[in-house]
Amino acid sequence: MSTLAGTLQPTRPATGPVQRLVALLLVGPGPYARAFENLILGLILLSVASIGVGAIPTLPGWATAALRVEEVIVVVVFSFEYLLRIVAAKRKFAFIVSFEGLVDLLSIAPAFLLGLDTRWLRALRMLRLLRLLKLQTHILETTVTERTRELAEKNALLEQAQAQIKAELEVARALQIAILPATFPLRTGCDSAARMLPATTMGGDFYDFIELPHGQVGLVMADVSGKGVPAAFFMAVARTSLRGVAAEHLTPGACLAEANGLLCAQNPLDLFVTVFYCMLNPLTGVLRYANGGHNPPYLRRADGSIEALTGAGGLVLGAMPGVEFPEHEVRLGIGDHLVLYTDGVTEAFNAAYEAYGEERLIAEIQAHGDGPAAGLVERICHSVTAFAGAAPQSDDITLIVLSWNYTAAVLQ
Amino acid sequence: MNVRLETFGLTTVVIPAGRLDFSSANGFEKQLELVFAGAGTAPAAVIIDCAALEYVSSAGLRVFLLAARSSQRAGVYFALCALQPAVGEVFNLSGFNRIITVHADRATALSQVPQGRA
Repeated sequence: MSTLAGTLQPTRPATGPVQRLVALLLVGPGPYARAFENLILGLILLSVASIGVGAIPTLPGWATAALRVEEVIVVVVFSFEYLLRIVAAKRKFAFIVSFEGLVDLLSIAPAFLLGLDTRWLRALRMLRLLRLLKLQTHILETTVTERTRELAEKNALLEQAQAQIKAELEVARALQIAILPATFPLRTGCDSAARMLPATTMGGDFYDFIELPHGQVGLVMADVSGKGVPAAFFMAVARTSLRGVAAEHLTPGACLAEANGLLCAQNPLDLFVTVFYCMLNPLTGVLRYANGGHNPPYLRRADGSIEALTGAGGLVLGAMPGVEFPEHEVRLGIGDHLVLYTDGVTEAFNAAYEAYGEERLIAEIQAHGDGPAAGLVERICHSVTAFAGAAPQSDDITLIVLSWNYTAAVLQ
Repeated sequence: MNVRLETFGLTTVVIPAGRLDFSSANGFEKQLELVFAGAGTAPAAVIIDCAALEYVSSAGLRVFLLAARSSQRAGVYFALCALQPAVGEVFNLSGFNRIITVHADRATALSQVPQGRA
């Protein structure tokens, strides 16, 4: 099959006149290639029929003459076609010795070898019956060409559809990232930076900064279970729900409980989301928080010590209605850094399936946590991506660093 | 991830081995659905022995949540046992240990299956 199809491929772009002829008559598609194909098929049938007629001993003289003319035309056209096929073939010798090459040759060879010498003609006349084989290879070739073209058309359609889906997913992904806030509310005087490195497939990490009554600021770090379009939708619902309840409830625990109720009521796919939610009073540095199944953030004190905000947490949101979320409080000092992250950081795997882990994260925070927030975010991102190396990033990597500065808050 | 099944009376013990992450979660979800449906008769109790389960991502947690829901609907006793420390930490952190029963080892889990079901 492959050699048949192979003989039809042009060796190079149709530049010369012969190549153009090959492209026009043999390779197609087009009206000339179809007409040439039909001409060959017609001549094969005609020549086979004439062999039968020629065997009649009492044929009148005019009929014998007509048969000779017919034979000359057939041989000329077949020879022309044979030469074209040799030109068209990628590997010419392989074509000449291939089955269809030999059939083509044998169907014209007797005429060239013997001329019209009737002594041998009778004996070798039967060789011309080989033209029936030519018929077979022709039909086979036509079928293969047609199937190849059909396949190519279907492939092109599939590729087109896939490209469209991919483009739409990329737009969705870009939208998903674009709705994340770029900056922390400036008037709080906090130095903060956030960064999300999206995974190759659509993930469900998100964070949010929410301006609250009485000058307070709400911070959300969240991770939706699963991936793809369902996770993206659930993320949008979760983010909107949290924003809505944050404005109405004075405590983080009440916010998570209320948001959990909303999410459980609109969760057809049984997804859930881990949420760390805290409210910062920029004037006092007091941070109140509640944790819905999320990785506890790290707090690096100005003296370099590190503690995790491990106060007892609650369940992930969306899994079960009616659960409570315990609240905790911690006071930030000047120069302290709060690091919120998703498990995409600690569970970034390298090629050997080793996780980045908490120890490495703590070491980075310890080493680079005394400068600007943006610097620490960059350091951690760099450290994680360097660790993962060429291994594919299967989960979003999201980070927020926040450092509180009392003087700045008062001066604002 | 590989999953093996063992049967003790009417209790089915599911033994997953390897990493339960986004790529294996879907397959495991389908397998658990089959376990709850049962071959002929539905099981009276399903225990997931996690001794060989090395890692559970949030997509994996979702499968456990769905299994807990299925068991509730079907009135089947459902518990996990023998969690490796890293997996136990994920259960602790996410609060899942509060909505899904977790036993220290398989023997304890089997002994806790309510009477009249095993």
